[in-house]
Amino acid sequence: MEEITAIIFEAINQINRQLDIDKQLVKSEAAVLYGPSGKLDSIGFVMLIVNIEQRLKKKYKKAITLTNEKAMSQKNSPFLSVRSLTLYIQKLLAEKR
Amino acid sequence: MNLDFLTRKFENRLKYPFLIWKDDSYSYGWLLQQIREFQKTPAYSEVKPGCPVLLEADFSPKAVALFLALIQKAAILIPLSQGTGEAKKKESLEIAKPCLRFSLNAQDELEVSPFSHEPHFPYYEELKKRKHPGLVLFSSGSTGKIKAAVHDFAGILEKFKTPRHDFITIAFLLFDHIGGIDTLFYALSNGSLLVTLETRDPELVAQTIQKYQVEVLPVTPSFLNLLILSGAYQRYSLSSLKYITYGTELMPEITLQKLKNIFPNVILFQKYGTTEVGTLRSKSESSDSLWVKVGGEGYQTRVVDGMLEIKADSAMLGYLNAPSPFTSGGWFQTGDLVEVKGEYVKFLGRASELINVGGQKVYPAEVENIIQQVVNVKEVTVYGEKNPLLGQIVCAQVSTNQAEEPEQVAEKIQIFCRQKLESYKVPVKVLVTSCLQTSDRFKKKRIG
Repeated sequence: MEEITAIIFEAINQINRQLDIDKQLVKSEAAVLYGPSGKLDSIGFVMLIVNIEQRLKKKYKKAITLTNEKAMSQKNSPFLSVRSLTLYIQKLLAEKR
Repeated sequence: MNLDFLTRKFENRLKYPFLIWKDDSYSYGWLLQQIREFQKTPAYSEVKPGCPVLLEADFSPKAVALFLALIQKAAILIPLSQGTGEAKKKESLEIAKPCLRFSLNAQDELEVSPFSHEPHFPYYEELKKRKHPGLVLFSSGSTGKIKAAVHDFAGILEKFKTPRHDFITIAFLLFDHIGGIDTLFYALSNGSLLVTLETRDPELVAQTIQKYQVEVLPVTPSFLNLLILSGAYQRYSLSSLKYITYGTELMPEITLQKLKNIFPNVILFQKYGTTEVGTLRSKSESSDSLWVKVGGEGYQTRVVDGMLEIKADSAMLGYLNAPSPFTSGGWFQTGDLVEVKGEYVKFLGRASELINVGGQKVYPAEVENIIQQVVNVKEVTVYGEKNPLLGQIVCAQVSTNQAEEPEQVAEKIQIFCRQKLESYKVPVKVLVTSCLQTSDRFKKKRIG
Protein backbone atom coordinates (compact mmCIF):
# COMPACT_ATOMS: atom_id res chain seq x y z
CA MET A 1 0.00 0.00 0.00
CA GLU A 2 2.67 2.52 1.05
CA GLU A 3 4.75 1.37 -1.88
CA ILE A 4 2.01 2.29 -4.35
CA THR A 5 1.36 5.64 -2.67
CA ALA A 6 5.11 6.33 -2.88
CA ILE A 7 5.02 5.61 -6.62
CA ILE A 8 2.12 8.04 -7.09
CA PHE A 9 4.00 10.68 -5.08
CA GLU A 10 7.11 10.18 -7.23
CA ALA A 11 4.98 10.69 -10.36
CA ILE A 12 3.39 13.80 -8.81
CA ASN A 13 6.90 15.12 -8.07
CA GLN A 14 7.92 14.68 -11.68
CA ILE A 15 4.76 16.31 -13.08
CA ASN A 16 5.01 19.18 -10.57
CA ARG A 17 8.49 20.01 -11.84
CA GLN A 18 6.84 20.87 -15.18
CA LEU A 19 4.02 22.97 -13.75
CA ASP A 20 3.68 26.53 -12.46
CA ILE A 21 3.51 26.67 -8.66
CA ASP A 22 -0.22 27.46 -8.57
CA LYS A 23 -0.98 24.45 -10.77
CA GLN A 24 1.06 21.95 -8.76
CA LEU A 25 -0.53 18.99 -7.01
CA VAL A 26 -0.29 18.57 -3.26
CA LYS A 27 1.39 15.36 -2.13
CA SER A 28 -1.18 14.04 0.27
CA GLU A 29 -3.41 11.00 0.31
CA ALA A 30 -6.47 13.21 0.12
CA ALA A 31 -5.17 15.27 -2.82
CA VAL A 32 -7.71 15.44 -5.66
CA LEU A 33 -6.22 14.11 -8.90
CA TYR A 34 -9.13 14.71 -11.24
CA GLY A 35 -12.47 15.91 -9.99
CA PRO A 36 -14.41 18.91 -8.73
CA SER A 37 -11.49 20.83 -7.20
CA GLY A 38 -8.65 19.23 -9.18
CA LYS A 39 -5.88 21.46 -10.49
CA LEU A 40 -4.75 19.40 -13.47
CA ASP A 41 -6.03 19.99 -16.96
CA SER A 42 -6.77 16.98 -19.13
CA ILE A 43 -3.24 16.83 -20.56
CA GLY A 44 -1.66 17.15 -17.11
CA PHE A 45 -3.92 14.41 -15.83
CA VAL A 46 -3.03 12.05 -18.69
CA MET A 47 0.68 12.80 -18.17
CA LEU A 48 0.37 11.88 -14.51
CA ILE A 49 -1.51 8.65 -15.25
CA VAL A 50 0.96 7.53 -17.94
CA ASN A 51 3.84 8.37 -15.62
CA ILE A 52 2.32 6.22 -12.88
CA GLU A 53 1.71 3.36 -15.37
CA GLN A 54 5.35 3.48 -16.46
CA ARG A 55 6.57 3.41 -12.85
CA LEU A 56 4.29 0.48 -12.01
CA LYS A 57 5.58 -1.42 -15.01
CA LYS A 58 9.16 -0.86 -13.92
CA LYS A 59 8.50 -1.82 -10.31
CA TYR A 60 6.13 -4.78 -10.72
CA LYS A 61 7.03 -5.88 -14.28
CA LYS A 62 3.34 -5.76 -15.11
CA ALA A 63 1.56 -3.61 -17.70
CA ILE A 64 -1.30 -1.92 -15.87
CA THR A 65 -3.76 0.28 -17.77
CA LEU A 66 -5.37 2.80 -15.47
CA THR A 67 -7.68 4.67 -17.82
CA ASN A 68 -9.69 2.03 -19.54
CA GLU A 69 -13.38 1.38 -19.81
CA LYS A 70 -13.32 -0.41 -16.48
CA ALA A 71 -11.92 2.59 -14.66
CA MET A 72 -14.39 4.89 -16.33
CA SER A 73 -17.37 2.76 -15.48
CA GLN A 74 -16.56 2.54 -11.74
CA LYS A 75 -19.32 3.98 -9.64
CA ASN A 76 -16.83 6.15 -7.79
CA SER A 77 -14.02 7.47 -9.95
CA PRO A 78 -10.67 5.97 -8.86
CA PHE A 79 -9.05 9.29 -9.78
CA LEU A 80 -10.77 11.36 -7.14
CA SER A 81 -7.82 11.18 -4.74
CA VAL A 82 -4.38 9.64 -4.23
CA ARG A 83 -5.97 7.27 -1.73
CA SER A 84 -8.70 6.02 -4.10
CA LEU A 85 -6.14 5.54 -6.88
CA THR A 86 -3.83 3.60 -4.54
CA LEU A 87 -6.68 1.23 -3.68
CA TYR A 88 -7.60 0.86 -7.34
CA ILE A 89 -4.00 0.01 -8.33
CA GLN A 90 -3.74 -2.46 -5.47
CA LYS A 91 -6.87 -4.19 -6.80
CA LEU A 92 -5.54 -4.27 -10.38
CA LEU A 93 -2.20 -5.69 -9.24
CA ALA A 94 -3.95 -8.38 -7.21
CA GLU A 95 -6.02 -9.34 -10.28
CA LYS A 96 -2.85 -9.66 -12.35
CA ARG A 97 -1.23 -12.00 -9.86
CA MET B 1 -24.19 43.70 -46.94
CA ASN B 2 -27.81 43.57 -46.08
CA LEU B 3 -28.52 41.44 -43.00
CA ASP B 4 -32.29 41.98 -42.98
CA PHE B 5 -33.07 38.31 -42.47
CA LEU B 6 -31.22 38.50 -39.16
CA THR B 7 -32.24 41.98 -38.02
CA ARG B 8 -35.93 41.23 -38.70
CA LYS B 9 -35.57 38.23 -36.44
CA PHE B 10 -33.86 40.34 -33.77
CA GLU B 11 -36.63 42.99 -33.93
CA ASN B 12 -39.22 40.35 -33.14
CA ARG B 13 -37.17 39.19 -30.17
CA LEU B 14 -36.13 42.55 -28.65
CA LYS B 15 -36.73 41.53 -25.04
CA TYR B 16 -35.38 37.99 -25.39
CA PRO B 17 -31.80 37.22 -24.40
CA PHE B 18 -29.34 36.34 -27.18
CA LEU B 19 -26.31 35.77 -24.96
CA ILE B 20 -25.36 34.80 -21.43
CA TRP B 21 -21.88 36.09 -20.73
CA LYS B 22 -20.22 35.95 -17.31
CA ASP B 23 -23.64 35.29 -15.77
CA ASP B 24 -25.19 38.41 -17.29
CA SER B 25 -27.92 38.28 -19.88
CA TYR B 26 -27.90 40.43 -23.05
CA SER B 27 -31.04 40.89 -25.14
CA TYR B 28 -31.57 41.07 -28.88
CA GLY B 29 -32.62 44.68 -28.31
CA TRP B 30 -29.21 45.34 -26.71
CA LEU B 31 -27.52 43.65 -29.66
CA LEU B 32 -29.28 45.87 -32.22
CA GLN B 33 -28.45 48.96 -30.15
CA GLN B 34 -24.79 47.91 -29.82
CA ILE B 35 -24.49 47.35 -33.58
CA ARG B 36 -25.79 50.91 -34.09
CA GLU B 37 -23.31 52.23 -31.50
CA PHE B 38 -20.41 50.62 -33.38
CA GLN B 39 -21.65 52.10 -36.61
CA LYS B 40 -21.31 55.59 -35.13
CA THR B 41 -17.66 55.18 -34.04
CA PRO B 42 -14.76 56.73 -36.03
CA ALA B 43 -13.04 53.32 -36.20
CA TYR B 44 -16.04 51.84 -37.98
CA SER B 45 -15.99 54.55 -40.63
CA GLU B 46 -12.38 53.60 -41.38
CA VAL B 47 -13.47 50.11 -42.39
CA LYS B 48 -14.04 50.03 -46.12
CA PRO B 49 -15.73 47.18 -48.01
CA GLY B 50 -13.15 44.49 -48.71
CA CYS B 51 -10.94 45.70 -45.85
CA PRO B 52 -9.40 42.75 -43.97
CA VAL B 53 -10.06 43.23 -40.25
CA LEU B 54 -8.63 41.21 -37.38
CA LEU B 55 -11.25 40.52 -34.72
CA GLU B 56 -9.42 39.32 -31.63
CA ALA B 57 -12.10 38.08 -29.26
CA ASP B 58 -13.99 35.19 -27.75
CA PHE B 59 -17.75 34.78 -27.63
CA SER B 60 -18.82 37.98 -25.85
CA PRO B 61 -21.70 40.47 -26.27
CA LYS B 62 -19.61 43.07 -28.09
CA ALA B 63 -17.78 40.46 -30.17
CA VAL B 64 -21.09 39.30 -31.65
CA ALA B 65 -22.26 42.90 -32.26
CA LEU B 66 -18.96 43.84 -33.86
CA PHE B 67 -18.97 40.70 -36.00
CA LEU B 68 -22.40 41.60 -37.39
CA ALA B 69 -21.54 45.27 -37.85
CA LEU B 70 -18.42 44.34 -39.83
CA ILE B 71 -20.40 41.95 -42.03
CA GLN B 72 -22.79 44.79 -42.81
CA LYS B 73 -19.80 46.85 -43.92
CA ALA B 74 -18.73 43.98 -46.23
CA ALA B 75 -15.37 43.77 -44.43
CA ILE B 76 -13.22 40.65 -44.55
CA LEU B 77 -13.31 39.23 -41.03
CA ILE B 78 -10.32 37.47 -39.56
CA PRO B 79 -11.46 36.12 -36.17
CA LEU B 80 -8.82 34.92 -33.72
CA SER B 81 -9.59 33.58 -30.25
CA GLN B 82 -7.93 35.46 -27.38
CA GLY B 83 -6.23 32.25 -26.27
CA THR B 84 -4.30 31.82 -29.53
CA GLY B 85 -0.59 31.29 -28.88
CA GLU B 86 1.76 34.14 -29.80
CA ALA B 87 3.61 32.17 -32.49
CA LYS B 88 0.40 31.08 -34.21
CA LYS B 89 -1.01 34.59 -33.98
CA LYS B 90 2.09 36.10 -35.55
CA GLU B 91 2.09 33.57 -38.37
CA SER B 92 -1.65 34.05 -38.99
CA LEU B 93 -1.28 37.83 -39.23
CA GLU B 94 1.66 37.57 -41.58
CA ILE B 95 -0.43 35.40 -43.89
CA ALA B 96 -3.77 37.25 -43.79
CA LYS B 97 -2.36 40.79 -43.51
CA PRO B 98 -5.25 42.63 -41.82
CA CYS B 99 -5.38 46.44 -42.08
CA LEU B 100 -7.14 47.00 -38.76
CA ARG B 101 -7.21 45.24 -35.42
CA PHE B 102 -10.34 45.17 -33.26
CA SER B 103 -9.50 43.58 -29.94
CA LEU B 104 -11.90 42.87 -27.08
CA ASN B 105 -10.32 42.18 -23.70
CA ALA B 106 -11.65 40.04 -20.83
CA GLN B 107 -13.88 42.95 -19.73
CA ASP B 108 -15.27 43.23 -23.27
CA GLU B 109 -13.59 46.61 -23.76
CA LEU B 110 -12.71 47.44 -27.33
CA GLU B 111 -9.33 48.57 -28.53
CA VAL B 112 -8.71 49.47 -32.17
CA SER B 113 -5.32 49.83 -33.81
CA PRO B 114 -4.08 49.95 -37.40
CA PHE B 115 -1.62 47.63 -39.15
CA SER B 116 0.76 48.78 -41.86
CA HIS B 117 -0.12 45.88 -44.17
CA GLU B 118 -1.17 46.59 -47.74
CA PRO B 119 -2.54 43.24 -48.82
CA HIS B 120 -2.98 42.45 -52.49
CA PHE B 121 -4.71 39.11 -52.68
CA PRO B 122 -6.88 38.18 -55.66
CA TYR B 123 -9.46 36.64 -53.29
CA TYR B 124 -9.74 39.88 -51.31
CA GLU B 125 -10.13 41.79 -54.58
CA GLU B 126 -12.82 39.35 -55.70
CA LEU B 127 -14.80 39.86 -52.49
CA LYS B 128 -14.50 43.63 -52.87
CA LYS B 129 -15.81 43.36 -56.43
CA ARG B 130 -18.72 41.21 -55.28
CA LYS B 131 -19.38 43.72 -52.43
CA HIS B 132 -19.63 40.68 -50.16
CA PRO B 133 -18.18 40.26 -46.66
CA GLY B 134 -15.39 37.73 -46.29
CA LEU B 135 -14.18 35.36 -43.64
CA VAL B 136 -10.66 34.06 -43.16
CA LEU B 137 -10.24 30.88 -41.15
CA PHE B 138 -6.97 29.18 -40.37
CA SER B 139 -6.35 25.48 -40.67
CA SER B 140 -3.21 23.43 -40.32
CA GLY B 141 -1.97 21.82 -43.50
CA SER B 142 -0.22 18.48 -43.90
CA THR B 143 3.16 20.09 -43.30
CA GLY B 144 2.02 21.74 -40.07
CA LYS B 145 2.12 25.16 -41.67
CA ILE B 146 -0.98 27.26 -41.18
CA LYS B 147 -3.23 27.68 -44.21
CA ALA B 148 -5.64 30.59 -44.51
CA ALA B 149 -9.00 29.76 -46.12
CA VAL B 150 -10.91 32.72 -47.60
CA HIS B 151 -14.70 32.43 -47.69
CA ASP B 152 -17.41 34.56 -49.19
CA PHE B 153 -19.52 35.17 -46.08
CA ALA B 154 -22.64 35.71 -48.18
CA GLY B 155 -22.39 32.04 -49.17
CA ILE B 156 -21.95 30.89 -45.59
CA LEU B 157 -24.98 32.91 -44.47
CA GLU B 158 -27.24 31.48 -47.16
CA LYS B 159 -28.02 28.29 -45.25
CA PHE B 160 -29.05 30.21 -42.15
CA LYS B 161 -31.93 31.87 -44.04
CA THR B 162 -34.05 28.74 -43.61
CA PRO B 163 -35.74 28.97 -40.19
CA ARG B 164 -34.91 26.06 -37.89
CA HIS B 165 -35.44 25.20 -34.24
CA ASP B 166 -35.00 27.61 -31.37
CA PHE B 167 -32.73 25.98 -28.79
CA ILE B 168 -30.66 27.22 -25.87
CA THR B 169 -27.13 26.28 -26.91
CA ILE B 170 -23.72 26.34 -25.28
CA ALA B 171 -20.92 28.08 -27.17
CA PHE B 172 -18.33 25.36 -26.62
CA LEU B 173 -16.46 25.38 -29.94
CA LEU B 174 -14.18 28.35 -30.43
CA PHE B 175 -14.97 31.74 -31.94
CA ASP B 176 -12.40 31.33 -34.73
CA HIS B 177 -13.43 27.77 -35.64
CA ILE B 178 -15.92 26.88 -38.38
CA GLY B 179 -17.93 24.93 -35.77
CA GLY B 180 -18.06 27.95 -33.44
CA ILE B 181 -19.21 30.24 -36.24
CA ASP B 182 -21.85 27.70 -37.21
CA THR B 183 -23.11 27.57 -33.60
CA LEU B 184 -23.26 31.37 -33.44
CA PHE B 185 -25.22 31.88 -36.65
CA TYR B 186 -27.55 28.97 -36.04
CA ALA B 187 -28.50 30.57 -32.71
CA LEU B 188 -28.81 34.12 -34.08
CA SER B 189 -30.82 33.14 -37.15
CA ASN B 190 -33.39 31.42 -34.96
CA GLY B 191 -33.53 34.17 -32.33
CA SER B 192 -32.12 31.75 -29.79
CA LEU B 193 -30.01 32.04 -26.67
CA LEU B 194 -26.31 31.21 -26.70
CA VAL B 195 -24.62 30.56 -23.36
CA THR B 196 -20.89 31.27 -23.17
CA LEU B 197 -18.31 29.52 -21.00
CA GLU B 198 -15.28 30.92 -19.19
CA THR B 199 -13.49 27.58 -19.29
CA ARG B 200 -14.28 24.25 -20.91
CA ASP B 201 -13.91 22.28 -17.70
CA PRO B 202 -16.56 19.48 -17.42
CA GLU B 203 -17.61 20.69 -13.97
CA LEU B 204 -18.32 24.23 -15.19
CA VAL B 205 -20.02 23.01 -18.36
CA ALA B 206 -22.38 20.75 -16.36
CA GLN B 207 -23.10 23.54 -13.90
CA THR B 208 -23.87 25.93 -16.78
CA ILE B 209 -26.22 23.43 -18.43
CA GLN B 210 -28.19 23.12 -15.19
CA LYS B 211 -28.23 26.83 -14.46
CA TYR B 212 -29.40 27.98 -17.88
CA GLN B 213 -31.41 24.91 -18.87
CA VAL B 214 -29.23 24.37 -21.93
CA GLU B 215 -30.79 22.23 -24.65
CA VAL B 216 -27.97 21.72 -27.16
CA LEU B 217 -24.40 20.79 -26.27
CA PRO B 218 -22.11 20.94 -29.34
CA VAL B 219 -18.80 19.42 -28.23
CA THR B 220 -15.96 17.05 -29.08
CA PRO B 221 -15.80 13.33 -28.20
CA SER B 222 -12.78 14.02 -25.96
CA PHE B 223 -14.79 16.46 -23.93
CA LEU B 224 -17.57 13.89 -23.58
CA ASN B 225 -15.00 11.38 -22.32
CA LEU B 226 -13.89 13.85 -19.67
CA LEU B 227 -17.49 14.66 -18.77
CA ILE B 228 -18.12 10.96 -18.13
CA LEU B 229 -14.89 10.46 -16.23
CA SER B 230 -15.26 13.55 -14.03
CA GLY B 231 -18.70 12.35 -12.95
CA ALA B 232 -19.87 15.97 -13.29
CA TYR B 233 -23.06 14.78 -15.00
CA GLN B 234 -24.05 13.10 -11.70
CA ARG B 235 -23.63 16.25 -9.65
CA TYR B 236 -25.91 18.46 -11.74
CA SER B 237 -29.28 18.02 -13.35
CA LEU B 238 -28.73 17.87 -17.09
CA SER B 239 -32.35 16.98 -17.83
CA SER B 240 -32.81 20.08 -20.02
CA LEU B 241 -30.48 18.61 -22.66
CA LYS B 242 -32.16 17.58 -25.91
CA TYR B 243 -29.19 17.19 -28.24
CA ILE B 244 -25.52 16.43 -27.84
CA THR B 245 -23.68 17.01 -31.09
CA TYR B 246 -20.12 15.86 -31.54
CA GLY B 247 -17.48 16.39 -34.18
CA THR B 248 -13.93 17.51 -35.10
CA GLU B 249 -12.44 14.06 -34.31
CA LEU B 250 -13.46 10.41 -34.27
CA MET B 251 -15.98 9.31 -31.68
CA PRO B 252 -14.93 6.08 -29.91
CA GLU B 253 -17.76 3.57 -30.07
CA ILE B 254 -17.51 2.86 -26.35
CA THR B 255 -17.92 6.53 -25.44
CA LEU B 256 -21.01 6.75 -27.62
CA GLN B 257 -22.54 3.69 -25.95
CA LYS B 258 -21.84 5.10 -22.54
CA LEU B 259 -23.40 8.44 -23.46
CA LYS B 260 -26.49 6.67 -24.69
CA ASN B 261 -26.80 4.94 -21.30
CA ILE B 262 -26.16 8.09 -19.31
CA PHE B 263 -28.43 10.26 -21.45
CA PRO B 264 -31.18 7.92 -22.69
CA ASN B 265 -33.50 10.78 -23.65
CA VAL B 266 -30.92 12.92 -25.42
CA ILE B 267 -30.43 12.68 -29.17
CA LEU B 268 -26.75 12.20 -29.95
CA PHE B 269 -25.61 13.19 -33.38
CA GLN B 270 -22.47 13.65 -35.31
CA LYS B 271 -21.59 16.93 -37.03
CA TYR B 272 -19.15 17.21 -39.88
CA GLY B 273 -17.45 20.18 -41.39
CA THR B 274 -14.13 21.49 -42.58
CA THR B 275 -12.52 24.91 -42.62
CA GLU B 276 -12.62 24.77 -46.41
CA VAL B 277 -16.25 23.84 -47.09
CA GLY B 278 -18.02 24.77 -43.86
CA THR B 279 -20.37 22.63 -41.78
CA LEU B 280 -22.60 20.21 -43.62
CA ARG B 281 -26.03 19.19 -42.44
CA SER B 282 -25.87 15.75 -40.96
CA LYS B 283 -28.04 13.03 -39.53
CA SER B 284 -26.78 10.10 -37.48
CA GLU B 285 -28.48 6.78 -38.20
CA SER B 286 -29.40 6.63 -34.50
CA SER B 287 -28.07 7.99 -31.22
CA ASP B 288 -25.82 4.98 -30.70
CA SER B 289 -24.59 4.74 -34.29
CA LEU B 290 -21.45 6.12 -35.87
CA TRP B 291 -23.07 5.90 -39.30
CA VAL B 292 -23.97 9.36 -40.45
CA LYS B 293 -25.52 10.98 -43.50
CA VAL B 294 -23.73 14.18 -44.44
CA GLY B 295 -24.70 16.70 -47.08
CA GLY B 296 -27.79 18.86 -47.17
CA GLU B 297 -28.72 21.69 -49.47
CA GLY B 298 -25.75 23.13 -51.31
CA TYR B 299 -23.52 20.11 -50.75
CA GLN B 300 -22.70 17.04 -52.83
CA THR B 301 -20.56 14.20 -51.54
CA ARG B 302 -18.77 11.27 -53.10
CA VAL B 303 -16.21 8.73 -51.97
CA VAL B 304 -13.08 8.21 -54.07
CA ASP B 305 -10.55 5.56 -53.02
CA GLY B 306 -12.12 5.40 -49.58
CA MET B 307 -11.77 9.14 -49.08
CA LEU B 308 -14.64 11.58 -48.71
CA GLU B 309 -14.86 14.38 -51.28
CA ILE B 310 -17.21 17.33 -51.05
CA LYS B 311 -18.52 19.82 -53.55
CA ALA B 312 -20.07 22.82 -51.88
CA ASP B 313 -21.87 25.90 -53.18
CA SER B 314 -20.38 27.82 -50.25
CA ALA B 315 -16.86 26.39 -50.37
CA MET B 316 -13.98 28.76 -49.69
CA LEU B 317 -12.65 30.75 -52.63
CA GLY B 318 -9.23 29.32 -51.89
CA TYR B 319 -6.20 29.53 -49.63
CA LEU B 320 -4.20 32.76 -49.36
CA ASN B 321 -0.94 30.86 -49.05
CA ALA B 322 -1.36 27.41 -50.63
CA PRO B 323 -2.40 25.89 -53.94
CA SER B 324 -6.06 25.02 -54.51
CA PRO B 325 -7.08 21.75 -52.83
CA PHE B 326 -10.01 21.29 -55.24
CA THR B 327 -10.07 18.86 -58.15
CA SER B 328 -10.67 20.37 -61.60
CA GLY B 329 -14.34 19.45 -61.13
CA GLY B 330 -14.48 21.48 -57.91
CA TRP B 331 -14.41 18.61 -55.40
CA PHE B 332 -12.63 19.14 -52.10
CA GLN B 333 -10.54 16.16 -51.06
CA THR B 334 -11.13 16.00 -47.32
CA GLY B 335 -8.40 13.52 -46.38
CA ASP B 336 -10.98 11.71 -44.24
CA LEU B 337 -11.22 7.97 -44.79
CA VAL B 338 -14.73 6.56 -44.68
CA GLU B 339 -16.68 3.35 -44.98
CA VAL B 340 -19.92 3.52 -46.98
CA LYS B 341 -23.31 1.91 -46.27
CA GLY B 342 -26.03 3.16 -48.62
CA GLU B 343 -26.48 6.85 -47.91
CA TYR B 344 -24.46 6.67 -44.71
CA VAL B 345 -20.73 6.94 -44.08
CA LYS B 346 -18.61 6.03 -41.10
CA PHE B 347 -15.42 8.01 -40.47
CA LEU B 348 -12.32 5.90 -40.00
CA GLY B 349 -9.64 8.50 -39.52
CA ARG B 350 -7.30 10.84 -41.34
CA ALA B 351 -5.31 9.66 -44.25
CA SER B 352 -2.31 11.56 -43.03
CA GLU B 353 -0.22 11.01 -39.94
CA LEU B 354 -1.70 13.72 -37.87
CA ILE B 355 -1.89 13.14 -34.16
CA ASN B 356 -5.20 14.27 -32.73
CA VAL B 357 -5.04 15.09 -29.02
CA GLY B 358 -8.56 15.78 -27.85
CA GLY B 359 -9.48 17.34 -31.20
CA GLN B 360 -6.32 19.42 -31.38
CA LYS B 361 -3.95 18.56 -34.18
CA VAL B 362 -0.29 17.83 -33.63
CA TYR B 363 2.17 17.44 -36.45
CA PRO B 364 5.01 15.04 -35.63
CA ALA B 365 7.52 17.20 -37.49
CA GLU B 366 6.83 20.25 -35.34
CA VAL B 367 7.47 18.35 -32.10
CA GLU B 368 10.47 16.55 -33.59
CA ASN B 369 12.01 19.89 -34.50
CA ILE B 370 11.84 20.99 -30.87
CA ILE B 371 13.09 17.71 -29.36
CA GLN B 372 15.98 17.69 -31.77
CA GLN B 373 17.23 20.83 -30.00
CA VAL B 374 17.57 19.11 -26.62
CA VAL B 375 21.16 18.47 -25.55
CA ASN B 376 22.37 14.90 -26.22
CA VAL B 377 19.38 13.96 -28.42
CA LYS B 378 20.56 12.17 -31.53
CA GLU B 379 17.44 11.09 -33.39
CA VAL B 380 13.75 11.43 -32.69
CA THR B 381 10.50 10.07 -34.08
CA VAL B 382 7.22 11.47 -32.84
CA TYR B 383 4.03 9.47 -33.21
CA GLY B 384 0.55 9.19 -31.79
CA GLU B 385 -0.61 6.51 -29.45
CA LYS B 386 -4.23 5.68 -28.70
CA ASN B 387 -5.45 7.00 -25.40
CA PRO B 388 -8.85 6.29 -23.90
CA LEU B 389 -9.22 9.81 -22.55
CA LEU B 390 -7.86 12.08 -25.23
CA GLY B 391 -8.18 9.91 -28.32
CA GLN B 392 -4.46 10.09 -28.86
CA ILE B 393 -1.39 11.25 -27.00
CA VAL B 394 1.93 12.42 -28.38
CA CYS B 395 4.82 9.98 -27.89
CA ALA B 396 8.46 10.23 -28.85
CA GLN B 397 11.16 7.68 -29.41
CA VAL B 398 14.65 9.09 -29.12
CA SER B 399 18.22 7.94 -29.24
CA THR B 400 21.07 9.78 -27.52
CA ASN B 401 24.64 10.58 -28.43
CA GLN B 402 26.07 9.65 -25.03
CA ALA B 403 24.58 7.13 -22.62
CA GLU B 404 22.24 8.87 -20.19
CA GLU B 405 19.64 7.70 -17.67
CA PRO B 406 16.39 7.23 -19.73
CA GLU B 407 14.22 8.85 -17.06
CA GLN B 408 16.44 11.89 -17.02
CA VAL B 409 16.31 12.17 -20.83
CA ALA B 410 12.51 11.91 -20.81
CA GLU B 411 12.07 14.57 -18.16
CA LYS B 412 14.54 16.92 -19.83
CA ILE B 413 12.63 16.61 -23.13
CA GLN B 414 9.25 17.17 -21.50
CA ILE B 415 10.43 20.26 -19.62
CA PHE B 416 12.04 21.68 -22.77
CA CYS B 417 8.93 21.01 -24.88
CA ARG B 418 6.67 22.60 -22.28
CA GLN B 419 8.64 25.84 -22.63
CA LYS B 420 8.40 25.79 -26.42
CA LEU B 421 5.04 24.19 -27.28
CA GLU B 422 1.40 24.18 -26.23
CA SER B 423 0.91 21.59 -23.47
CA TYR B 424 -1.04 19.14 -25.67
CA LYS B 425 1.97 18.86 -28.00
CA VAL B 426 4.37 17.85 -25.23
CA PRO B 427 5.17 14.12 -25.49
CA VAL B 428 3.47 12.21 -22.72
CA LYS B 429 5.73 9.19 -23.26
CA VAL B 430 9.37 9.33 -24.18
CA LEU B 431 11.12 6.06 -25.00
CA VAL B 432 14.88 6.01 -25.15
CA THR B 433 16.39 3.44 -27.51
CA SER B 434 19.87 2.76 -28.80
CA CYS B 435 19.09 3.74 -32.39
CA LEU B 436 16.07 4.56 -34.54
CA GLN B 437 15.06 2.72 -37.67
CA THR B 438 14.85 4.18 -41.12
CA SER B 439 12.98 2.76 -44.09
CA ASP B 440 14.67 1.46 -47.22
CA ARG B 441 14.04 4.85 -48.81
CA PHE B 442 16.06 6.47 -46.03
CA LYS B 443 12.95 7.99 -44.55
CA LYS B 444 12.07 7.95 -40.92
CA LYS B 445 9.99 4.91 -40.09
CA ARG B 446 6.71 6.08 -38.68
CA ILE B 447 5.26 4.35 -35.67
CA GLY B 448 1.58 3.99 -35.12
